[in-house]
Amino acid sequence: MKRIALFVAFVSSAAIGVARVTPLAAQSLASRVGAVRNGTVLMQFAPRPGVCGDGRGSTFTRHDDSNNSNASSTDDRWQCIPGPVRVAIGRANGDVVSIREWVGGRFVPGSSDTNLGTVSAPEAARYLLTLARAGAGRSADEAIAAASFADSVDIAPELSALVRDSGVPVASRKQALFWLGQSDAPTNALLALDGSVRSSDLREQFVFVLSQRQDDAAFDKLMDVARHDPDHEIRKRAMFWLGQSRNPKAIKFFRDLLTG
Amino acid sequence: MRRIATLWMILAGVSSAGAQSVMQRVAAAHGSIQLVYPSRTSACGDGKSFIGNVLGTRNFFSDGASFSKDDDWRPACVHGPVRVVATVIDGEVTRLRTYVGPASANGSDVESIQATAADVASWLTDLVVRGSTRAASDAMLPLIVADIAEPWPLLLRVARDDSRPRDVRQAAITWLGSGAAEHLGLADASNQSDDDDVRAQAVFVLSQRPKSESVPELIELARTAKNAAVRRAAIFWLGQSGDARAMDVYAELLGIK
Repeated sequence: MKRIALFVAFVSSAAIGVARVTPLAAQSLASRVGAVRNGTVLMQFAPRPGVCGDGRGSTFTRHDDSNNSNASSTDDRWQCIPGPVRVAIGRANGDVVSIREWVGGRFVPGSSDTNLGTVSAPEAARYLLTLARAGAGRSADEAIAAASFADSVDIAPELSALVRDSGVPVASRKQALFWLGQSDAPTNALLALDGSVRSSDLREQFVFVLSQRQDDAAFDKLMDVARHDPDHEIRKRAMFWLGQSRNPKAIKFFRDLLTG
Repeated sequence: MRRIATLWMILAGVSSAGAQSVMQRVAAAHGSIQLVYPSRTSACGDGKSFIGNVLGTRNFFSDGASFSKDDDWRPACVHGPVRVVATVIDGEVTRLRTYVGPASANGSDVESIQATAADVASWLTDLVVRGSTRAASDAMLPLIVADIAEPWPLLLRVARDDSRPRDVRQAAITWLGSGAAEHLGLADASNQSDDDDVRAQAVFVLSQRPKSESVPELIELARTAKNAAVRRAAIFWLGQSGDARAMDVYAELLGIK
């Protein structure tokens, strides 16, 4: 019954102009992108069920078991369009210099853009994760988000690997942890990361991600963190999220903790 | 005996000739007037904005900020008289600023009155009971640091008085909570460990749960918690709940019938 709305505003940096046609669809996505030395590579792919956006940067995700078919918004003009996921990869001197993603809407390619059209969602997801691992900052964040929106692919193992990889920037690991929490991956996949998320930043994100999972396994882990984590600030954070929970075990937890 | 008699007079609304004089002189003032009177022996300050040892080790600034003894910075704290500077417009007190410690120079146009703590307390009591929201709330701190008996019965009466503005009642409740903690010997938080800090956070989180859940738990903790940090936090957050039962608990903890 997890229903989590996520709105993320992004700003497009794509140039406007006329598209170049790319006839090399049989090549791997990586090689097709790599063939562009300078300019912007555009692609789109199918989103997983429950993902929609306004085409301008706001994205909404929900899980299949939700009856809520639309994003909630006080703005009646706001439309949540169920895909496609659109990605623009900026290239300069053969390197990836920016990654931006949107859900919904359509590209209006410029003259320096290379439009790959619709690509395989699983291939795009895996490729974007390789870019995320090699990159940093907003581009890495958007690559991970876009990969998480892709249809017909389970990227939980790749996201878990990113979280565990101490060579990856903490911000990217946090992003991977977040989207792993938002995925259909079982809570056990999150719990398995416990020993890999020791830094304060990651630990705080771990606690938050657990709090968004409204199941007993996540709740039990939150209680464990609140009682035993060596970082008392993390314990306080876990305590906060336990207090926000509707789980009936919450009140008993506090009673036991405070009277014990 | 003197303190008991003074408190009885205050609670009974009896003003001594000196108290009437204080009220009359304040009412007749135009702009600012300063009243100087003895402070509690524990109270100290820098005479400018900082007031220390108000209810245990709790410190205040006259701009409303407060912090505990374990904070990194604390100005020199010197015992001295209380100075209350009242702003008076058309005979009505609109604002009070409170200082403790060495006297600092005021503008030459500010009239200054030396008075007994009892006489000033009588005037402050009148403000708490009948003054505007701001003046009534401002009047509680100088009452608490005055060298008189503790004003908890008065503040309890105000906290329970439906006819008083909500902010005045809430200010009284907050002071009562601090008073109850001090009365129980819980006011000093300087030795609070990390574990105590986590437990205090748990009390806060508990207080944010629906009232039907949180208030009974907070009452129980305020009455019986063995951990000082937990009990102190429960007393505070119970007062912030807005639940009328908090006043009964405070009265019980303060030993007020």
